[in-house]
Amino acid sequence: MNETNVGEFEELVLLTVLLLGEEAYILKIQEELLNEAKRKSAMGALHVTLGRLEKKGFLISELAGDTKERGGRRKRVYELTAAGKSVVTQIHTTRNSLWNKIPKFALKFANA
Amino acid sequence: MPDKPLSPPSISIRLIKLLCKKELSEEIEGNLIERYLLLNEGQKSFILIRYWYEVLNYIRPYFLKSLKLKTTTTMFIFNPKITIRNLIRHRVSTFISLFGFIIGLTSFTFLYFYLDNELNYDAFHADKDSIYRVYRTSQDESGEYYDIAVSSPPFARALKNDYPNKIQSTLRVSFNDMVVKYEDKRFSEDKIMIADTNFFEFFTFPLLLADPETVLDNVFYVVMSEPLSKKYFGEEDPIGKRIELNGNADFVVAGIFTAPKNKTHLEFDIVLSMGLYEGQEWFENWWRNFAYTYVKINPEDEAYLQSAFPSFMEKYLGDDFKRTNNNNGLKIVPLADVHFHQSRYDSTPIGNFSSVIIIASVALAILFIACFNYINLSIAQSHKRAKEVGVRKVLGVDKTRLTVQFLGESTIILTLAITLSVILSSVLRGYFNHFFGLSVTYNWSDPAVQIFFSSLLLLLIITSGLYPALTLSSFETLKVLRTDKPLKSKNIFVRKGLIIAQFSISMFLIITTALIYFQLEYMNTKNLGYNPESVLIIDTDREIRANYDEFKSRLLAYEDIKSITTGSGVPSGFHDTYGLTFSEGAEDVRVHTVFADIDYLNTFNIPVMAGRGFSLEYASDSTDAMMINEAAWKATGLSKDEIIGKKVRIPFRDWDRTVIGIFENYHFKALRDAMDPQAIIMGEDMRRIAIKIDSEDRYKTLSIVEELYKELAPSFTLNSWFLTDDLRDQYQSENEQAKVFTVFSCLSIVLACIGILGLASFAAQKRQKELSIRKVLGASISQVITLISAEFFTLVMIAVILSIPLACYFMSIWLQDYAYRIELQDYWMVFVIAGITTMVIALLTIILKTYKTASGNPVDTIRYE
Repeated sequence: MNETNVGEFEELVLLTVLLLGEEAYILKIQEELLNEAKRKSAMGALHVTLGRLEKKGFLISELAGDTKERGGRRKRVYELTAAGKSVVTQIHTTRNSLWNKIPKFALKFANA
Repeated sequence: MPDKPLSPPSISIRLIKLLCKKELSEEIEGNLIERYLLLNEGQKSFILIRYWYEVLNYIRPYFLKSLKLKTTTTMFIFNPKITIRNLIRHRVSTFISLFGFIIGLTSFTFLYFYLDNELNYDAFHADKDSIYRVYRTSQDESGEYYDIAVSSPPFARALKNDYPNKIQSTLRVSFNDMVVKYEDKRFSEDKIMIADTNFFEFFTFPLLLADPETVLDNVFYVVMSEPLSKKYFGEEDPIGKRIELNGNADFVVAGIFTAPKNKTHLEFDIVLSMGLYEGQEWFENWWRNFAYTYVKINPEDEAYLQSAFPSFMEKYLGDDFKRTNNNNGLKIVPLADVHFHQSRYDSTPIGNFSSVIIIASVALAILFIACFNYINLSIAQSHKRAKEVGVRKVLGVDKTRLTVQFLGESTIILTLAITLSVILSSVLRGYFNHFFGLSVTYNWSDPAVQIFFSSLLLLLIITSGLYPALTLSSFETLKVLRTDKPLKSKNIFVRKGLIIAQFSISMFLIITTALIYFQLEYMNTKNLGYNPESVLIIDTDREIRANYDEFKSRLLAYEDIKSITTGSGVPSGFHDTYGLTFSEGAEDVRVHTVFADIDYLNTFNIPVMAGRGFSLEYASDSTDAMMINEAAWKATGLSKDEIIGKKVRIPFRDWDRTVIGIFENYHFKALRDAMDPQAIIMGEDMRRIAIKIDSEDRYKTLSIVEELYKELAPSFTLNSWFLTDDLRDQYQSENEQAKVFTVFSCLSIVLACIGILGLASFAAQKRQKELSIRKVLGASISQVITLISAEFFTLVMIAVILSIPLACYFMSIWLQDYAYRIELQDYWMVFVIAGITTMVIALLTIILKTYKTASGNPVDTIRYE
């Protein structure tokens, strides 16, 4: 997390894209976000986030696979770039190391 | 799944296409379609709402098309420098468009204010919505109802007494002429108003230096208009000055009023208190109808009052109605409608609504023509700009940007035009008013007027700027750069349509003008059945009435004076209407009456048809004789022999008369009206004196009359005019209309020619190469000119043919107002001549412009091919 910041929602989106693999296009991402993270988001909002992540260089996308359900329109499928993968890893690592340093009782207090 | 694939509302897809960036819209649409299918499969409720939630969530800046105009090179969105350069480079067409717009807008501004003045009469009164004017209603000879503006003084009090809860207050005003004297200044003033003391509370005339409630409390207090006080007192303080009115020196100026914001139907220079009359016997007479009565009510009570009036009239006048066989009704009309309310015996200026409509349409027509010109010229010019458009597009300017540029040019021209027109029309207002005989005032300070003119500017920019701008900016780059013909045939069609419309309007105006003139000419030259030439009319006053016999005998001593008569009315003036009851065997007839002395028929040269005229030889004539016109005789249904000697009763005056003769119908009313029954009755009612002069030098005779008048009526001034002036004034509104039409038909043809001039030069230039080749191959100059002219000539011809039935229809409606009128089929030459004139003018314009092209050396134009 040195040059480019990734927000909490952006992080979730990146992880979802990673999870979905080749299926990572907007409707699936939206569905996963709802199922896994209980995050409701309109396509319009999600689309903006995806666009922003792409601009930051964490995602690349291409248009592919027009299907009947989409009225012959292609869909944009997203994939993480190396930078994207490294940023999620870095976040994970940072969090883990933080977790490890937290004294156990501190959390207990918080829960109680 | 159903056979036909489910698809979301197509409007949502279209919305996305319209608003979202091109590169994003495909996937967005795809997403939405898929979402819609999923929603349907999920069998959830509120599918549509959920769907539209997604759609609307796409409407955010990230997806929307950019409003910024992106180019690869740096250019201004609107470059005024280029605009100004362009306008200067094409200075001829800039000048033509500007000139057209200025003519159009200047006339439009004047006409707009004329209409604004007409339609806002009396709009400045604080209580304008609750003020109503009282009219009496009556029936004429043919049974048609008409309104009478004047009523008698007792009406106001009776109305207030009978409906105390409905009628808040009443007001009576009447007009008079008086001789006003202050020190050595002595003038006859004709706008003197005698009003109830609450006049300045009732109406909101701006009063200076006085309290509206008390300013008229003393019967000798008068209120003067500002200009009149300047006339008599100069710069002195007018308040408290003593003035003399008709020889009575007791009057004191108690207040000054200034001109109100709008026009008003009550035009007056001096207000006197009606208290002067109060208590006099005739003032209490219900039939002394000389005043205008106004009431202030709650508008909601109008219907109630209207329905209560019949019983009101019956209560006060029922006995009179029975006795005289003369029935009157009563009604009230809101102040806002008074100016256009047609009624009789109304000396206030009654507006002519048809005139207003005609002028409004002429104003619009002129404006249209000016706009059409501009549209036509700018499109015609487009070939000159086509290369520019092409190059700009190659450099990456997009359509929106070009549209803005061209709209900007229109805006500059139009703003310039509207500014110049406003200035010009203000400068020319005096001339306009003088020429049309109007008194139009401009009130730019009125916010409504400002809003109107701003929106007019906006509307003009949109209507005349947008179309050319869109056309120009939509040229296809390649086509424009490769060929010379950027215009699609659709545009040519529009331009041809505009040319046809312009010339139709011009032709229509020319025909209408000519026919109005012919109708006027017809009315001015028609034999009226009497001789109005050299008849001097004098308005009488009490002193001359008392000395009439001396006046008459002394005047007759001069050999220049043929005869002299007095009566209750003169031809073309007011005539009372009374019912006549014949003794058994004849129908009752309602007639217009003249109460006259023995010389009435001689003075006006009215021929007797049967029986005899009034004569001194019959002693009984002065108390017993009456004559009727042919129309009245026909209405009785008797034969000539039966009618002569018939006893007649005039119930209203309680007089019995004998018919001694029939005189021929003569036009005692304007030729607008049909010939009505008339009776001339011996009896004193000296409202007018008529003097037949037979002299080389009428003015010498006039000064004789004036001198004698001074001697016999010392406290009054002579108020006289020639009958022929009256006759001319009868057709004043026609004269005004004729003038308006003349001016604007000339303007419209000039504008239309400017339009065709631009188009013809465009056509000639566009086909320059073709024409040159034709000339090389042996065509003569005239053949080439014919070739170009033919196209436009056809258009003008279509316009001419189209306008003829329109003009016919309009004029036949216009002529319906005239009982005596020209027949359109007798004037078919007007149509032919107007058509030929229009075509010749158009043709000359085209030839003038194309001759240069046609006569040029072909080498110059085709050298480079």
